[in-house]
Amino acid sequence: MSAPDFYFALNAIFRHIHDRYGKESLVAYWRALGREYYRRRIERWRGAPLQVLAADWREYLAAEPQAEVEVAVVHDGVELDVKVCPAIKHLRDQGRDIVPYFCEHCDHVGGAMAEAAGYVFQRQGGSGSCRQRFLRPSARLKEAS
Amino acid sequence: MLGCQDFCGYYDWTFHFVRRSWGQQAVRQLWAEAIGGEAQQHYAQSASRAGLRGLYQQWTKTGVEESCDWTFTLDEARNVLRFDMRQCPSKGFLLANDLQADEDYCDHCMGWTVPLLSGVGVELIEHEHNHCGQCWGTMRGKDRPTQPLEVEADIRRDGRWNCGFLHRWRSDRPQPLLRSVSPSSDPCDVLAAWFEAANGLVILGPESAAPEACRSLVPGCALLTIGKIYADGRQCPIDPSAVLLGDERDELAGVAARFQATAAERRPLILHHFLPRGPMLDFVSAGLPRPVPILPLLIRRGLYRHQPGGPTPDLTELLMLLAAALQKPIP
Repeated sequence: MSAPDFYFALNAIFRHIHDRYGKESLVAYWRALGREYYRRRIERWRGAPLQVLAADWREYLAAEPQAEVEVAVVHDGVELDVKVCPAIKHLRDQGRDIVPYFCEHCDHVGGAMAEAAGYVFQRQGGSGSCRQRFLRPSARLKEAS
Repeated sequence: MLGCQDFCGYYDWTFHFVRRSWGQQAVRQLWAEAIGGEAQQHYAQSASRAGLRGLYQQWTKTGVEESCDWTFTLDEARNVLRFDMRQCPSKGFLLANDLQADEDYCDHCMGWTVPLLSGVGVELIEHEHNHCGQCWGTMRGKDRPTQPLEVEADIRRDGRWNCGFLHRWRSDRPQPLLRSVSPSSDPCDVLAAWFEAANGLVILGPESAAPEACRSLVPGCALLTIGKIYADGRQCPIDPSAVLLGDERDELAGVAARFQATAAERRPLILHHFLPRGPMLDFVSAGLPRPVPILPLLIRRGLYRHQPGGPTPDLTELLMLLAAALQKPIP
């Protein structure tokens, strides 16, 4: 069941937690969600070839209405080239007031999942299109050096 | 990236996160303020624009998008908007994926709907849900009288309606789950009230020797057992205080026979775990009251965390967890 109006709830829940309990609580919520709710996906990723992680994201994103995302295995990681973020697109199309920190949920949900599975998460861009990477730590070290 | 395909799964998880982080009232605030007050504002706008007809149009649109197997009936002459849900896709997602992070997922529906409707002059006349994906409800504009509406699609005629336990709402308010025990709609309160007077709990499980367990039933203690043992008077020679039913359809007839043959004041409280991957059992046709669920209390006390596809405690272990949740010693 992929009903895009669920994105309204996502945006509203983020705002509610942020406004009532503060940004730190929102980040804690995102990270716990990644670690706990997506435990089974994390288990599939951990120690598996990068193709498994890429296939998991392809399958996930294929079920998201209006998503335009290319998933590729790159050197020591998996890259999600998000040309059209389905959530941002639907929220914008429906005239919803998008919380300014909406994109950060990917950093923390994805980041917590990545860390638990032995990866490092990176995001460049946002507000409707971005590039997300799940990198093996060795790749991050090479980049740094 | 959080998608909408598995939204219901992490929606359920979010309710539990909010409860465990900020308490029971916090999750009701989330439903009323975030969901009713913001996410579902298109319902409020539809109602403000066209009353019950606006709500009807909005809900039928949602039903198509979410693949709801339901019937919405609008009778403006009677001032009634009614829904009969045959299979809720949202609860269905949890059942299909063996998910239950929170105490009671179904609560969220009235949790956002009633505050939203109240704000636009609409009253929830009646509502019931059985926690298995079936529910019904009626609404009216508060500004004029209403008349009852009978519909062919009444979900209560469906055999599935007899499964699960019922939460009821009347005039915007939740009703007692078991009025004879507690005025609360919360199963945790019902369990606390039922066992309030007990100083301790004696558990008669398959491993217990019946006479020994009964001997240890010191005054003031309550006896708990499981359906299979209760059904056999030799294994459970005295009337227990509560009986936890398992997933076996075959045991319902024996349990019902003893229950019906027992004087009303000595009948046990019938309990069930209602685990999401368990079979849908028809307690009503078997001649039993709908059981009180124990999982909400175990989850609230942090004594049970459902792992999809993972092992689950057996009935005796669940009774021991219940005793711990009720903070009653086991002599």
